[in-house]
Amino acid sequence: MITAERKPLPEIKEMIAPYRKVLLVGCGSCVAECASGGEKEVGLLASALRIDAKMHGHIIDIKEITLDRQCVYEFIDQLTGIAGQFDAILSLGCGAGVQALADTFPGIIILPALNTTFIGQTKDAGLWIENCRACGDCKLSYFAAVCPITRCAKGLFNGPCGGSQNGKCEVDADVPCAWQLIIERLEKTGRLELLQNIYQPVDWSRQLGKGPRKIHREDQSA
Amino acid sequence: MKIYSRLKRVLEKGHFAVTAECGPPKGADPKVIRSKGKILKGFVDSVNVTDNQTGVVRLSSLAACVLLKKEGLDPVLQMTTRDRNRIALQSDILGAAALGIRNVLCLSGDHQSFGNQPQAKGVFDIDSVQLIHIFRQMRDTGVILGGDKLSVPPDVFIGAVANPFADPFDFRVVRLGKKTTAGAEFIQTQCIYNLKRFDEWMKKVRDLGLHKKVYILGGITPLKSARMAEYMSNNVAGMDVPDEMIRRMKSVPAGEQRKEGLKIAAETIQALKDIEGVHGIHIMAIEWEEAVPQLVETAGLLPRP
Amino acid sequence: MGLDAMTQNKNELNIVVFFCEQLDLNQDKNRRVLEKELGTSIKFFPLPCSGRIEPLHLMRAIEAGADKVFLITCPEGACRYREGNLRAEKRLAFTQGLIEEIGLEKKRLELIRSKGGAEMTIHERVKEILKREENVNTSPLKLQ
Repeated sequence: MITAERKPLPEIKEMIAPYRKVLLVGCGSCVAECASGGEKEVGLLASALRIDAKMHGHIIDIKEITLDRQCVYEFIDQLTGIAGQFDAILSLGCGAGVQALADTFPGIIILPALNTTFIGQTKDAGLWIENCRACGDCKLSYFAAVCPITRCAKGLFNGPCGGSQNGKCEVDADVPCAWQLIIERLEKTGRLELLQNIYQPVDWSRQLGKGPRKIHREDQSA
Repeated sequence: MKIYSRLKRVLEKGHFAVTAECGPPKGADPKVIRSKGKILKGFVDSVNVTDNQTGVVRLSSLAACVLLKKEGLDPVLQMTTRDRNRIALQSDILGAAALGIRNVLCLSGDHQSFGNQPQAKGVFDIDSVQLIHIFRQMRDTGVILGGDKLSVPPDVFIGAVANPFADPFDFRVVRLGKKTTAGAEFIQTQCIYNLKRFDEWMKKVRDLGLHKKVYILGGITPLKSARMAEYMSNNVAGMDVPDEMIRRMKSVPAGEQRKEGLKIAAETIQALKDIEGVHGIHIMAIEWEEAVPQLVETAGLLPRP
Repeated sequence: MGLDAMTQNKNELNIVVFFCEQLDLNQDKNRRVLEKELGTSIKFFPLPCSGRIEPLHLMRAIEAGADKVFLITCPEGACRYREGNLRAEKRLAFTQGLIEEIGLEKKRLELIRSKGGAEMTIHERVKEILKREENVNTSPLKLQ
């Protein structure tokens, strides 16, 4: 899923300072999973902002709502008729959600309460790890499902580099060396010969080519 | 007058080669490079210039190579894939060759988080193996990546690095094989303190017949102090400094440690001469270039051919 | 402010007590002793396990005007549901971090880990806690 973390409160306070009526909008998908923007977190942030306002004698009216998904027009539609009642919307969605809201309500001020971080997995309760960089040209079949672009700090396709030691990356002793993992997994699944291949340079244009990417499926349109 | 790679000639003629390393300054100062060149001239076959090593901004390797060339040395241009994309790398090798530089060493490079620009975007458009392959194609087939033809191919002797001391140990030789298949012609290894482990690695190298396909130069870095030995052991990734060596350095008073370090280095060189498949040495005496002449002499490697 | 001072100035301090029901099976009856003495200054919220506490409960208590919030858990190793009191501790610590971000002292939320041994009624426990409680500044919330 997409992970995110709440921005520091001083930053959020500064963003909403000019506004009297603010709607906090959460999202029940990815950000709920990583405990940063779901219904609970909306409640916590709203409470904190109200307490803070009382402490400083500010008048602010904070309301809360959580959508199932903030990046899909059908769910965003639930806010039609409501959004306009507020001076600003503080979105606890990921960057996709914040922008989807703004696309739908271009006349309303939409602000991000979160810093969107990465695509990753929930490895354990409270532990999220990045594992995909959305390169658009998945080669996980060659690398025993360990992504070298994401999990190797240098993005090597013919690794490991000379800094790999005791299965750890030279960059950080807590980061496993992706290439050590690839080699171990290929060995475990009887595919070590894949390592003999000299993998060619990545086609970065599939990820970083001409601005924001798009997918259009005619068969899916109404 | 045709310019040739002295390193290539020495190796092809079967001599035990000697290369050294020169670290450029953190400033636009040509004098430092020239004086280092003067120290090394006559004592080595070729001189490497590092490329923003450990991600610290220094005078560029290409410029320093040109300065060394003017002093009459045969430079080895080190190129990492950390700071430049494929366009810049291919362009730079054409420039280097046009300026008479005849050796290039292809590396991925230390991660930018180690240096003084940790917020920089590490490029890593391609990796070192791909770089070796691209340069080999440019030279031998006269085309760049994608197939466009070059008017004049770059005439360069292509090298790569190997680290017998990094993990996973068994795979290191496979990776050396990959670099050789990709087109590497000479290899400079990480500095050697653990001769036993290096010996094991060389045995695997010989088992795969790689010593006949690529020239291997063993890395030598003379220890300046016991503290340096400890620092390298604890803080530098991919470095193997055995405890006995640290103890040996500690057993000697501080004032004598440099001498002891040079003694160890000379002993290591002697040992390397006797290992089948080692074709020379690469001395990395960073910021201690003055030590190189006496080390080469003590090791009985003078005069250079 | 200690219990005696509190009874004198009943409207000075608002206390909220979240506590694990397992500590006093007669808590429903026993807590009324303190509720009578202190009136609206004290509110009790029993939990089937202290691990059921949510940061949001603690935040809402402060939002509603609590000057001090206690969370009383069972002794270490004695949680009926094994890890409940450990979770309670983590969630309280998390909430302390949150209130510090808005400038409130983290001591406004306090975890009380009961000691093993003698059984105490809930009102005896809280009396003891309040006796040793040093002065807590009146919550800024009251200024509104």
